[in-house]
Amino acid sequence: MLTSFFKAFTNLFKKPQTIDYPVTSIEKDKEYRGLIEYGESECIYCLKCEKACPPGAILFVPVENPPKNEKNKKGLKYHYNPHLCIYCSECVRACPKPEEALWQSNKKPPIGIKDDKVNDGWFELEKLKKV
Amino acid sequence: MKKTINIPIGSQHIALLEPVRFKFECENEKIVGVGSDVGFVHRGIEKACTTKFKFDGIGYVVARVCGLCAITHSMTYTASIEKLIGGEITQKAKYLRILLLELDRVHSHMLCLSHTCENAGFEAMFMRIMGDREDIMEIQELITGNRVQFDYISIGGVNRDIDAAQAKNILAKLELLKHKVLGYIDEFTNNWSLSLKFKGIGVLTLDDAYRFNTIGPLARASGLQADVRNEIDYLPYDEVGFNMQTHSDGDINARNLVRLSELLNSIEMCNNILEGLPEGEIFTKLKGKPKGDTVVRFEAPRGELMYYVKGNGSAMLDRVRIKTPTFSSIPAFSHVFMGADYADAPAILASFDPCLSCTAK
Repeated sequence: MLTSFFKAFTNLFKKPQTIDYPVTSIEKDKEYRGLIEYGESECIYCLKCEKACPPGAILFVPVENPPKNEKNKKGLKYHYNPHLCIYCSECVRACPKPEEALWQSNKKPPIGIKDDKVNDGWFELEKLKKV
Repeated sequence: MKKTINIPIGSQHIALLEPVRFKFECENEKIVGVGSDVGFVHRGIEKACTTKFKFDGIGYVVARVCGLCAITHSMTYTASIEKLIGGEITQKAKYLRILLLELDRVHSHMLCLSHTCENAGFEAMFMRIMGDREDIMEIQELITGNRVQFDYISIGGVNRDIDAAQAKNILAKLELLKHKVLGYIDEFTNNWSLSLKFKGIGVLTLDDAYRFNTIGPLARASGLQADVRNEIDYLPYDEVGFNMQTHSDGDINARNLVRLSELLNSIEMCNNILEGLPEGEIFTKLKGKPKGDTVVRFEAPRGELMYYVKGNGSAMLDRVRIKTPTFSSIPAFSHVFMGADYADAPAILASFDPCLSCTAK
């Protein structure tokens, strides 16, 4: 009984276990699995990442003004949906040029808001892919 | 005139983590009849596995069945595909898989224990265990890059390696955690709210455990020697110091103590793995498509998890059947409730550690 009173009293002067979030920033792990980043100039357009991606968050879609790259013979453009991505980095493991063309950062995904057309914009891209 | 009153618990209830409904037929305070409904969180994952996704991506899909045993789901699916393709993975990958499986078991059991404390009205202990559970979550984030969805196991091995500095860091954290778990054992055996209150409540006898095919900690608390880790040969559990933990009482207190001693055993296994990790590659590329069918079992934190996978030689599978531990234990759950007080029902339910998102998938 006495010890529990003593413990309860000392607990009054202890720091809380939680982080005082908006004031103190949360430390992010260096190896945290975050956004997939893409180097357009180094890409060889083999489309391996597109095939490997489990949720289909990477799409190469034919566009009118494709990025200038001699490997890009079909006139494709890379599209990435951070809200669909599960950050498993299967695409990076499938990529023949990892760290140059495709790599995983530790950045957090952006917040999806309506004005960005997170869903509708992506569905249109998927339709283009199916045609 | 009808003498019994029907009282439901759920589908939304303050003591429940996930939606489940039990209908209790009560005579005064005693429960005399039980009906259950578990399908509130059905997401059609089995169907999606055979229509939407190719076989090499399904390991990530089935990990979304459950947040607490995500790694066991992807492990079981991956093992079944490796069995169908006929590939052998390296020893190091096997050890790293066990490491993650056991860390997952630790954090799942800690969640269950904290929930039991909350149901006993011991809010401070709930906070304490949940606070300590953060250490395990940090270790998991350090190894896999994420706290809950690990996406660590892929067909052919594991996705990330651990270096010496990480291993040292993890060992130090596990050592701290071990002392904390010893503290819990003291609380769970000596504290009145956690031990005496739970003794003799929700008893499942050894005979009934046999009769209802009980699995997992629920069976081991009744003295039934049922642990899949003892029976499989896909992973070298006998090399890392696995010991089966059993108890003979079969009540809520026994279940808590079994979980606590499993925590200690899991921590010891993690220590053994980190200290004796073999050299080698973590990933072997396996070629081919699954053909034929197979059944693979693994020990999830709540008991035996079984996958039946049938492939036809193409990238899409014919069938993925998931049998989850909670689903197999429902007959035993219903039996334990019979004859108990209605007031004890939330505490008994929490001691089963039911996982409804697994069950409904």
